Amino acid sequence: MATKKARRPEIDADLNINSMMDMMTIILVFLLKSYSTTDVSVAPSDDLELPFSSAAKAPEMAVNLVVEKRQIVVDGRPVLMLESKDDEDNPGQKQIVVPESELRGQSINKLFEVLLEKAENAKRLGEVNTKNPDLGFKGRILLQVDKDMPFEVLRSVMYTAGQAQFGEFKFVVYKTE
Amino acid sequence: MASKRKPFEEQDLNLTPIMNLVTILIPFLIMAAQFVHLAVIDSTLPAIGPASTEPPDPNEKPPLQLSLAVTGKGIIVSGADMVLYPDGRPAFAEGEERPPTIPCKNGTCNSVEDYDWAELTAKLNLIKDEYPDNQNVILVPDNSIKYELVVRTMDAAREDPARKTEAGPRELFPFVVIAGGAK
Repeated sequence: MATKKARRPEIDADLNINSMMDMMTIILVFLLKSYSTTDVSVAPSDDLELPFSSAAKAPEMAVNLVVEKRQIVVDGRPVLMLESKDDEDNPGQKQIVVPESELRGQSINKLFEVLLEKAENAKRLGEVNTKNPDLGFKGRILLQVDKDMPFEVLRSVMYTAGQAQFGEFKFVVYKTE
Repeated sequence: MASKRKPFEEQDLNLTPIMNLVTILIPFLIMAAQFVHLAVIDSTLPAIGPASTEPPDPNEKPPLQLSLAVTGKGIIVSGADMVLYPDGRPAFAEGEERPPTIPCKNGTCNSVEDYDWAELTAKLNLIKDEYPDNQNVILVPDNSIKYELVVRTMDAAREDPARKTEAGPRELFPFVVIAGGAK
C-alpha cells in the first residue's frame, strides 16, 4: 500500500505530442500558402475540363456560365442538355451540338431566357443599391467551357449571351505555372 | 524528503491548447486551400459601329485589322499583308482555297501541339514591330475547332514569353475579339 501511494498515478499517462505539433505546424504553413480568397470556384468533373493558359488575370465575380460536355449550367442551375451526334467530317467520331429544337437562328432559347432574367435582376439590384457600385449590371459573364467543346457550340452560347446584353466575356482557365 | 523527489523530473509545456487550436484551424485552411490556380482571359463581342465617313488619308499607313482564322489545316493570318508579304501577296486563282499562312507541323492537325505556335508568335512579332500601338486581334475559328485551340491561339497572340522586356514578356495583341464567322 505504501508503495502505491508514493507512485504518482498521472505523470506517466501523458502522451508526447511534440512530434505531432511539429507536423501540424508544417502543415499549417503549407496550407496558409495555398490559402485563397477567390470567389470563383470550379467543380471539376469528367464533363468539365478547363484548358490551360498562360493568362494571369485573376477571376472576379460575375454570372457563371458553365458549358460541360453534356449540359449547360448557369449559376449552378442546369439549363439545357447538349446532344452528341455523329461528326459528318470525321466518320465514327461524336460531336457535341446544341439540339436543333432549342435553337432559334443562332440563339439558344432556354439559355437566353435565363440570362435575360439574370441581367434584369442585376439591373434592378443596381438601381436599388445606388451606393454600392459593385452591385448592378456590368455585362460581365464568366465562361467555364470544356476544352473539347467545338467552337460551333461556343459561338451559339456567346451569341446568346450577347443577345442577353452580356458583352464582356471572361474565359476561366487553369493557370500554367 | 529529497530522496523521494525524482531527480530529473521533466517540466513539460502543456501543448494541448495549441494542439486544439491547430487541429481546428487545419480543416478550415484545407477548405479554403486552392490547389488549382484559376485565371481569366478577357474577350468582348465584336462592336458594330457606323462606318467611318472620313476618306482615308492616302499618306497614312492603312490601319491594321489583324485577324487570325483558326482552321483544321492551320492558321490564316490576314489583315497584315503589308508586313507578311512586302512584295505583294501571292495570287490565287478564283475559287481556289487559300492555303493557311501558318500550316500545321508535319501536315496534320490532330492535336493542339501540331499547330506551329512558334511560327505564329514570330509572325505576330513582325507585325507588332510595324504597328507597335495596335493591341487588337480578331479571332475567327472554324466551327469544328475545339475550345482548347481557341484558348491556345489567344495565348500565342497575347504575349511572347521568349522576348523579355522590363515589364515582363513582350505584349503582342492582348485585346482579343472572337468573331462568330458565318454559319
